[in-house]
Amino acid sequence: MTATRISVVVPLYNEEESVPPLVTAVRDALGPGSDWELVLVDDGSRDRTAEVAGQAAASDPRVRLLRLARNCGQTPAMQAGFDHARGDVVVSMDGDLQNDPADIPRLVGRLEEGYDLVAGYRERRQDTVITRKIPSWIANRIIRRLTGVQIRDNGCSLKAYRREVLARMHLYSDMHRFIPAVAAATAGARITELPVRHHARRFGQSKYGLSRIAKVLADLLTIKMIRSFRERPLRLFAIGSLGAALLGFGFTMAALVAAAWFRPEKVSAVVFPGAALLWFELAGYLLLLGLIAETAVIEHRRDGAEQAPLARGDLQ
Amino acid sequence: MSVVVLVDERPEPLDGIYEEFSAPFRAAGVPHEFLFLIEPARESLATTLEPLAAGGAPVRRLQLAQAVPEGAMVRLAAEQARYDTLLLMPAYRRVEAASLPLLTTHVAEGADLALACREPRRDPGLNRFQSRVFHGMVNRISPQRFADIGSGVMAIRRGLLAELPLHGEFFRFLPVLAAREGFTVHEVPVRQHTADQHARVYPAGTYLRRLVDLLGLFFLVRFTDRPLRFFGVLGSVLGVGGAVVLLLLLYQRLHGIGIANRPLLLLGLLLLVLGIQAVALGLVAEIIVHLGAPRRKSYRLREPGPPPPPPAS
Repeated sequence: MTATRISVVVPLYNEEESVPPLVTAVRDALGPGSDWELVLVDDGSRDRTAEVAGQAAASDPRVRLLRLARNCGQTPAMQAGFDHARGDVVVSMDGDLQNDPADIPRLVGRLEEGYDLVAGYRERRQDTVITRKIPSWIANRIIRRLTGVQIRDNGCSLKAYRREVLARMHLYSDMHRFIPAVAAATAGARITELPVRHHARRFGQSKYGLSRIAKVLADLLTIKMIRSFRERPLRLFAIGSLGAALLGFGFTMAALVAAAWFRPEKVSAVVFPGAALLWFELAGYLLLLGLIAETAVIEHRRDGAEQAPLARGDLQ
Repeated sequence: MSVVVLVDERPEPLDGIYEEFSAPFRAAGVPHEFLFLIEPARESLATTLEPLAAGGAPVRRLQLAQAVPEGAMVRLAAEQARYDTLLLMPAYRRVEAASLPLLTTHVAEGADLALACREPRRDPGLNRFQSRVFHGMVNRISPQRFADIGSGVMAIRRGLLAELPLHGEFFRFLPVLAAREGFTVHEVPVRQHTADQHARVYPAGTYLRRLVDLLGLFFLVRFTDRPLRFFGVLGSVLGVGGAVVLLLLLYQRLHGIGIANRPLLLLGLLLLVLGIQAVALGLVAEIIVHLGAPRRKSYRLREPGPPPPPPAS
């Protein structure tokens, strides 16, 4: 039996019409050999997606179906596919036919040049300008700026990974949007990108709207913190604490100046000292929180739960 | 089947509970056991079980060394039970004994959890009003609607208990937690016991505890994997409120109105500081969630797939 070299992981949610052409396109792209597999992950679809995907799996041993017990979201669905993929190289893509499986060999080829993660970027995006392209352009700029990972299209699901990188990443919440940043932060992955084709959605409706912007911002803050302060969270909180303490000193000075220079009846004796106390309280609070975060990190290491970092030279 | 009786709140004589509720299983010849979990304060009740056990009745008692929440009692029951289907019930009469086999039948036919729903309710309007308010709040949080989550009588597959967070008093919300994880939960209409038809008014502390439990459930269901979204929204609302107040004061200051003696300045700063505190707390919660991520799965497969491949070398 040929060992599986490439696993293509595709999360599916209400994509019953897309599944048959998707399976055909992946077969066409990866050829008749048996060194690849297609892992379809049904994310609790409410239509016939699981049934259609099950038929595809029954007719081709290279196609596998994982069914989640409920609609968990794209990130858990993707993580389920990663956990069960058998290939040395794993490729993720959307199930709505907007990504083109014909790009997979190019991504894998680039990975074999020595990268850990190759991210596709949609060169000629077939999306609406107001609700998709502009928010995406802004989000990508912010993500690049905050994470320091220079990927121009974080929203493109078509990516190829080495298995060793995935073993060090544990995706949850909605982190699929920040996989390169997570890979860089938690596995030190070497990342590059390639232009890929993009097609307009043929079936069904988009599962995302403008409401995701606030969620993206909250997740981004998390990623930034993990990337910058994963080892020493106390530093993050200490910086905040220092800022608050400086403001406290500022208001203390203002209180002293007001008391010395102005007549007491014009200036309340409470407002400036009160403001100073508030900022000092915040400074102490942040420092204590930082200690709690530091304790959590130390306990995590003591449990032996932290994986060894990815080492260079062991990937061929 | 293991019938697990939680002997904590307002228990009735245990021998009577056994005689009445074991009758349908004895009549049908269903292999069963009755497992009484008795909290320390109710220890004296356990003596009534001794004659039953001596007479060969399938009765076991587990006397707890300390008072623990019902969730911990259920975890212990799952460890100790001899059968794979558990029927959980309180040590007082809520539903008619004849209805218990209905619940176990649902589990035997594929449900992961079958919850007794007292229907029609024959108790006073006050009880029904309280129940309606409580379920109105629960159903806003739950992915599946429930009509009588408070019945406390349910049949459940033992394996399911290992996959649910059963800490504290969350036993009450077991059906909600099971539905959230994608397990099949059936609500089965059963006849309400005549002994369950009196008006109930609880001490104020009980209502307060229920509200706190609901808040905990809300957080668990919506934000366990993403605490910063909860704290972030809270912090943003407070912080933006504070910023608006401070901008207003800045505007007034630029137009020559003094602000040094304005309590509004303190309010603006207080809101801003509270907002920062909420976001900072959310960040700590995110660190804890992130560190725990490798040890837990954010998904559950409907059918067990093939075992995951060995970790990369």
